[in-house]
Amino acid sequence: MTVSLTLQNVSAHYGPTKVLDDLSLHVGEGELVSLLGASGCGKTTTLRLVAGFLQPTSGTIRLGDRDLTRLPAHARNIGLVFQTYALFPHLSVLDNVAFGLKQRGMGTAQRRAKAKEMLERVGLAQFAERYPANLSGGQRQRVALARALVIEPPLLMFDEPLSNLDAKLRVDMRVEIRRLQRANGTTALYVTHDQEEAFSISDRVAIMNAGRIEQLDSPEVLYSRPANAFVADFVGFENMIPMRAIAEAGDGVRAEMAGGATLDLYRSDFTVPGRDFIFAARPEGLTVAREGKGISARISLRTYLGRAYQYRCNTPAGEIVANGPLSDPLEPGTDVVLVPNPAQCCLLKAESR
Amino acid sequence: MMSRTHPLLVAFAGLTFIFLIGPLIIIIGTALSDTTFLTFPPQGLSLRWFENIFEISAFRTTMVTSFMLAVGGTALSLLIGVPAAYAMARYRVELPKFLPNVFVLPILVPEIVLGFSLMKSVATGLGFPIFTSLLIGHALLVLPYCVRVVGASLNSFDFSIEEAAVSLGCPRWKSFFTVVLPNVRAGVIAAFILAFITSINDVSISIFLTGPGISTLPIQLLAHMEQFFDPTIAAVSVLLMGVTVAVMAVVEWTLGLTFLTK
Amino acid sequence: MPVPAPPTGRRGKNKRLRDRMNPRLFAWVLAIPATLFVALGLGLPVLSTFATTIGEAAGPLQPYIAFFTSGFRRTVLWRTMEVSLITTAISVVVGFATAWVVARAPGRIKSLLIIAAVFPLLTSVVVRSFAWMVILGKNGIVNTALLGLGFIGEPLSMLYTEGAVIVAMVYLFVPLMILTLVGVLEGIPRDLTDAATSLGATPAAAFRQVVLPMAVPGLIVGAVLVFTGSFTSYATPQLLGGERQMMMGTFLYQRAMVTFDWVGASTIAAVMTIVTLATVLVMSRLARKLNPVTG
Repeated sequence: MTVSLTLQNVSAHYGPTKVLDDLSLHVGEGELVSLLGASGCGKTTTLRLVAGFLQPTSGTIRLGDRDLTRLPAHARNIGLVFQTYALFPHLSVLDNVAFGLKQRGMGTAQRRAKAKEMLERVGLAQFAERYPANLSGGQRQRVALARALVIEPPLLMFDEPLSNLDAKLRVDMRVEIRRLQRANGTTALYVTHDQEEAFSISDRVAIMNAGRIEQLDSPEVLYSRPANAFVADFVGFENMIPMRAIAEAGDGVRAEMAGGATLDLYRSDFTVPGRDFIFAARPEGLTVAREGKGISARISLRTYLGRAYQYRCNTPAGEIVANGPLSDPLEPGTDVVLVPNPAQCCLLKAESR
Repeated sequence: MMSRTHPLLVAFAGLTFIFLIGPLIIIIGTALSDTTFLTFPPQGLSLRWFENIFEISAFRTTMVTSFMLAVGGTALSLLIGVPAAYAMARYRVELPKFLPNVFVLPILVPEIVLGFSLMKSVATGLGFPIFTSLLIGHALLVLPYCVRVVGASLNSFDFSIEEAAVSLGCPRWKSFFTVVLPNVRAGVIAAFILAFITSINDVSISIFLTGPGISTLPIQLLAHMEQFFDPTIAAVSVLLMGVTVAVMAVVEWTLGLTFLTK
Repeated sequence: MPVPAPPTGRRGKNKRLRDRMNPRLFAWVLAIPATLFVALGLGLPVLSTFATTIGEAAGPLQPYIAFFTSGFRRTVLWRTMEVSLITTAISVVVGFATAWVVARAPGRIKSLLIIAAVFPLLTSVVVRSFAWMVILGKNGIVNTALLGLGFIGEPLSMLYTEGAVIVAMVYLFVPLMILTLVGVLEGIPRDLTDAATSLGATPAAAFRQVVLPMAVPGLIVGAVLVFTGSFTSYATPQLLGGERQMMMGTFLYQRAMVTFDWVGASTIAAVMTIVTLATVLVMSRLARKLNPVTG
């Protein structure tokens, strides 16, 4: 059974502090949506609201056609995987996995068989009689996953499930989580602060900030077309250069930046002559060249990235970070031109703040 | 936001706390009574029973003895306990595994057995003076607190900091005082406080070791109770509760009261 | 500015004690005063007490045979056992229920409640026992209240009964139990109860299947503290039980300091020590076995 999750105008408070501000979110049937943001952005609060550990001050939470808003947590039937794994230390691996089945009144033999089967699926059948203290981090996370999956919940939720694992294991586990979620067709909500993790695992990602969703889109869209400066900064557009469109220039537009330098750019919604906008560029979106059409700059520092050199450059509009080819290392102090590469740049509406 | 605790349970806990605090309030009340017998609620208000404490010389002298014993016993115990705790934390592998258990013995052996044995072997057997015997008893009594509390601090101390000091040219003996000790200060203060309060309230050891001329305040209080059952006892009790308040205030200032829940 | 090097030249002839000694020796130098103090101050005297009991001319176990064949001494031992067990049972129940509420109370209230539990704990046992003499005495509050309300015609004598001793003992040890169990309950991560709830456990089921099993080792530790504390107490049975309700502690004192029967007193001391050590050893082993992490 696949169902969708809908949060409608949900607000939540910790005492007087508003931690979620009129948040609406729809997770489609079988879809995996990540909530991505720094700590304190409200992503974990959202998850705890859906789980029923917190009560919203307003708004509704629906799972399929069930209204969860006032339902006690134990009656919600949601599989939850914790950052700390939260395995019961006094129960064996098998009893941990069977715990949820026991609560559902399933007989001993049946639930043990079912738990065993689930442990086989996560490759831990031989550890069934062990206690959590005697497992590695990765194994514990698999048990936690098995425990959440075995109750066949219509919704799975993950709260930073991989942040206690080392880098290599993290990649393996996220592939495994995605595979199991896909195979069961379970709707899933995934909370993380790791951008790579969120982008690699999700159908859609919600970037959160200060209790709101800044943008909810597929990873591809978020990566190439951020909706605002916050998201652009979050997905790696390190350079944010305020500009003003001054005139049409052929197919594009001519823009002026601080210090009076001009740059020809492609047209967008914000590039009406006379209007301010932001030119956002990743370091790889600006190529450091000895000459060409672009922003004049002087190199102040060079660092080696392996695939390219990265330069910190001084311009009249402030410091800009740009990459240059390995074939032509340039020394600090060199005057250069930063040539935009449109695929790695974007134009944003000037923020009123 | 959290699921509520059952109201009956809350009521029960409320009763427990009334049970815990009520008797102490009653003592304060009886100490203020203007009568010559113990009664509550107090009849008439007077501070004369507090004045009476200081008119009875036995209370004055035992107060001084108790204080000196608590400070002296605790100091002696820290003096030998801190180096031992340091050795056990720093050189765990060099010392036998059973050694930490040695310092649990004074709590494991019943206090009253220790008191009786000290009386039999040390005070009577070896003929040690009363105050010396008491000092030994009290230092033993509080040694586990000193070793364990300071030890807990030392166990969470990162000894590479001490090595850093040595690498910067600080002699090792000096680094103990300038680097290690300041960082386990909280543990030493806590040990001192716990030891002080344990010593000053002790009955079971002192009861065997006090003798003619030298006694401690709790023992004097017990002796006084056998002869007189008047509000002086309540007044002394209030005074002892004042010591508790003072100790808790010191804890609050130096460590924060959250220390007490750990 | 150049920094002068530490004075290394001095080191050759004026090497510090600690740099020269091997670590094992140095560790022992630090540990030996305290170790000797315990060995000589506690070890020898207590062993000598034990030796007194088996060095008797009438036979090595004679004092123990005398102890266990004397009706009076057996009565004292059983009474002490009974009082201690009842005190422990009441303290566990009262302490657990109260600790549960304290552990879940909001921050400010929680600190207040903890102060309210710590305060009696730090106050003299004599003072705390004395309070119950005032409450339960002939002219005490309970009698005054009952007389005033007309429930009784003449004051009840509640002092010097087993009940009085138990009430005062519970009063003595409940704070200890509360503080121990608040620590235990707070040590159970909230994620675990949340996990249980998310898997469909009702609050009662989560308590029974997760909280209780995890609290049992701490509960045992607390119970051992209360039991051994009651079993070896002196001031409380002395003040509230008197001669009529003699317990092991008061009995020991009486034998040692009133009748000067040192063999008898040593035997009582030995029985107390053995019961205490056995309880601690057996129960701490049990606690370790039931502990999910070490078990």
